[in-house]
Parts: sequence; C-alpha cells; structure tokens
Amino acid sequence: MSTFAVIARREIRLALRNRSALIAALIFAVWFPVVTILGIAAGSEGDAAAISGGIATVTLPVGVFMGYLFCADAFLREKRDGSVETLLCTPVSLRRLWEGKAVGVAVPAYLMTLVSAAVTIAAVYTLASAPVAGEPLLLLHLAAVVPIWIAAATGLIGAAQLALGMRENQILGFVLIFGFIFLIVGLQQVAPGGSAISVTAEAILAAVGFALLALARFIAGKVTKERIVRTIP
Amino acid sequence: MVPAQSHGRFRTNRWIDAPWPGIDRYAFTQSCGWILYPSRPLPALCRAVREEGAGVNAVEVRGLSRSFDGREILRDVSFAVGHGEIFGYLGPNGAGKTTTIRILLGLLAPGAGEVRVLGRDLAADDDARARVGVLFENNGLSDRMSAADNLAYYAGLYGIEEPVERIDELLALVGLTDRRDDPVGTFSTGMKRKLGIARAILHRPEVVFLDEPSSGLDPGAQRMVRDLIVELSRREEMTVFLNSHHLDEVQRICSTVAILAEGRIRAFDSVENLTTASGRPAVTVALAGAGDRACEVVGPLPYVTECDADGDRLRCTLADPGATPDLVAALVGAGFRIEEVRRSSRSLEEIYLEHVGRAEGGA
Repeated sequence: MSTFAVIARREIRLALRNRSALIAALIFAVWFPVVTILGIAAGSEGDAAAISGGIATVTLPVGVFMGYLFCADAFLREKRDGSVETLLCTPVSLRRLWEGKAVGVAVPAYLMTLVSAAVTIAAVYTLASAPVAGEPLLLLHLAAVVPIWIAAATGLIGAAQLALGMRENQILGFVLIFGFIFLIVGLQQVAPGGSAISVTAEAILAAVGFALLALARFIAGKVTKERIVRTIP
Repeated sequence: MVPAQSHGRFRTNRWIDAPWPGIDRYAFTQSCGWILYPSRPLPALCRAVREEGAGVNAVEVRGLSRSFDGREILRDVSFAVGHGEIFGYLGPNGAGKTTTIRILLGLLAPGAGEVRVLGRDLAADDDARARVGVLFENNGLSDRMSAADNLAYYAGLYGIEEPVERIDELLALVGLTDRRDDPVGTFSTGMKRKLGIARAILHRPEVVFLDEPSSGLDPGAQRMVRDLIVELSRREEMTVFLNSHHLDEVQRICSTVAILAEGRIRAFDSVENLTTASGRPAVTVALAGAGDRACEVVGPLPYVTECDADGDRLRCTLADPGATPDLVAALVGAGFRIEEVRRSSRSLEEIYLEHVGRAEGGA
C-alpha cells in the first residue's frame, strides 16, 4: 500500500472514530440544510429546478464546513500536540503527507455531506412534496462538484493549519469558511438563471472548484517543514 | 520499499546468492554499503569496513550556527558521533539541544555549517530518513488508536511489509503485549513513552534520536526507559543520540557526551575522560590521622599536578596514571600511615555544572 493510502486510510478511520466531531457534523449537516431548503421550497411553490438549485447551493457550504471540522482533528490537533514533527521525520515527503491527510479528511466530510443531502431531499419530499431525487444535474452536482470543493477546502484549510500558528489558525478558520460561503453564494448569483440549478452554474462551480484545488496544491507546495516546526506551540 | 532482513549482524534489503567460491552471498547494506558475506562467519567485517574509513560517522556536525529572530541559538557547534555509540547531548533549557536535533533531522535549516546523519542530509533525502528513528517528547502517537494500530501506521509510512511480527516483537520488548489493542489514550505516561520508543525503532533505524526520553517519568519508569535504551543499543546495534537533562542517566549509559551551553559546545569527550578530572587520573588517599602536611610532601612531586587535603583525606590529580604507587611510596616515606587508596572521579553533574556555570558566568 502506498504511503498516500496509508495516511488517507488512517485519517478516515480517525475521523469516523471521533465521536464529538461526528455528532457536531451530524447536527449541522441535518439541521442547517433542512431548515434552509424547506424555506426555499415554501417560496418556490414546488419548482423542482429552484429546489434542486437550493440543495446544490446548500451542500457546498455544508461540505466545506464538514471538511473544516475534520481538518481540526487531522491537521490542527497534530500540530498542537507536536506529533506532526514525528511524521515529518518519516521518509514521506511533506506534499505526500498533506495530500494523504487532505483526502483522508475529505472522504468523511463528503460522506457526511451525502448524508446531509439525502436527509434534505427526503425532508423536501415528505414535507413539501417536491420530488427532486431524480434531478440529473443535482446528482451530477453531488457526485462531481461537491467532492472537488470539499477536497479544495480541506487542502486549503489543511495547508493553512500546517503553516500558521494557533492564534492565526483560529482567525483563519472563520475567514476561510466565510470566504467559501461568500464565494459559493456569489457564484450562484453571477451564474445565468439565478439560483435554479443549471448546466452553466454547475460548470462554473466545477471550474472554480478545480481552480481552488490548484490553489491549495500551490499553497501546500510553499509550506516548509521549518515553517511547520516553528509554529508548533 | 523492501523490508530490511537480518543476516548475522547485517541488515539489508536483499541478500543475493554469490556465484564465487568462498562467498556465500552479497548485498548492499544500510550501514556498510556493498558487502560480501563469506561462507565462513566473519562477524567483524562491518566494523572493520567502518574503521578503515569506508563508513562515515553516524552523526557529524561541523561549524553549525543558527539564529532565530536575531538571537543566536547555536554558535559554531561541532561534534561527531561514531556508529554504535550512545551519545549524550547535555545542556540547560534553551541551550539549543532540540534545535540541533531538529537541524540534524532536516526539520530546520542550518544558518551556517554542515550537518550529516549517516553521511546524508536528511532535509533533502527521503530515503535516508528511513534509516533514522526519532522520539520527541510527545511520542508521536494517536491517543484514539490502539498500540498496535499506531505501530502499524508507522510501519506503513516506513514501507514495512507484513509488520505484524515486528510489532508483536516490539510490544513484547517494551512489555505492552497485553495492552496491544487498547487505545493509547488509556496508557500511563511511562507506557506511552515505552510505546514511543518502540515506534521510534520499529523500522530498525541505524541512528535513533531520543529527545528527553525520561522526561515526566517517575524514577521506576526512568530506570525502565534507561535499561530499554541500553538493551536496544546492544540488541539492535543502533547509534543512540540522547538529549537529556538526567545527568545520572547519561553517565550510566552514554559512552560520549557533549555539553552545550549558551549555544556553544563547552565539552565533548568520553564520559570516562570527563569524569576522571578532565582526562587526568586522580586518587583519593585516606590517611590515619591529620593530613595537613601531606600536600607539602607530595605537592612538589613532578607527577602531581594538583593536591588538596581535607582532614584525613588527601586528593591528588596526577599527570601520569601509573604514578599512584610512587605517590603512596612518597607518603609512606614521609611517615604517613595510609588506610585506603582509591582512584577517584568526578560525577558528570559536577562537570556539567562547572561548564554551564562557566558559560553563564562568561555570558
């Protein structure tokens, strides 16, 4: 098994054993999207495209927030307790370490986001009688766009948590989360067709997701072992 | 990566059957480079190759300096650690010990000078890091994973295939077999430290860096860790770089020490040389009666460099270790009656405090 797979598998296992993070994630993943989508469903009078657009819009910040929650365990905790220093002494390159951790965090975050989407779709169907489960663009969004954004978010947040000190990380966490949310909402606004799900909107989101992923790789490439070690508290 | 195999005292990734008469097999070893394994045992081969210069020191530091935010932490630090040694790196808090280790491990860049571990720069050489183990104060373990899972994780990072046997062997060595599947979060500090040591040597490193391995442990656990280090050095034939505040521990197990204070190396020698009055032999003579006049008798002798009398005790530092019988004869000739003569040495603590105090006084 490659070192990448070893690291990613370990992070997935740790995330799935982190009961407090899972409970927090589950509460947020269910409560926030369901309340938001029911509001949208009430206002759109059963328009499937609008409701699908709403679900698509909500799943992205949910996914990013899930990534942030699990990143705190994979990157920040190991920075805080200093165990990242031991990992840096293994024959694994810093980039490989970052990639393994980012993907290992992204997988449980994506799974929680899918749970969130499933609960939301079920809630919309049950409470607002709006069948959106078969909407192809929504399925494409969940299968392709959401994982790209989650991977970009975990990569960016992880790289930042490795590179920055504890105090900076507290501030940066909120900055990144709100940055992502404003970016998602902004992209929805500029996309033709408004908040309804559309091919153009999904293409824009996917393109920006890939750009963010590239940015995360670029930033991670700039992080040095010295930078990490000198910001261990 | 192919896991290391053992054959006699050598560790290698692969032994190849040799087609030549008299040679059983040959291989590229981590410690010696290419070696031939003769049909008849030649256990000193590896050591001989090293001594002839084909090998390099396990750790070499030359003219190392490093500053942080304009503050000079290390100034022109130089020392070397030979293969198989247990080396003690001593110094007060903030002296730069951990900074030195971090530079050696490639975690920090040197400001000036050069460092090598097994002849390599670990910052630039991923493969070379596979030959080095490290234990920092935090042990590098996850509290939520079991002891075996923690070791299995690092086995994966070091490319050890089928590591179960090695994990079980190490858990037995550190006495944690019955806690194999328990989460590390339920372990005591001493148990975590033992598991941390097992983790550090899991991949059979040639050099292992131990940063304060006894820190925070009770005396019993300290002794256990100390015995474990000696056992590992002997059994796994590894070079141990020990960064410690426990001078008694260092004196007991280290062959060589360096004392770092105010960023400079203040002493670097074998423990034996340092403790025998900076390399000069000393004797303590117990006299039957007051020895006030004894220094007047032996002080002028050419082989006595220092003389100090305290009641019935006389302590002399000698220029020549073979001069003890002459000293005794001179005292007996002068009418002193002698009850006991013994070689005396200073404790490492005395040496340490002397060097550190001198450095702080001069700073």
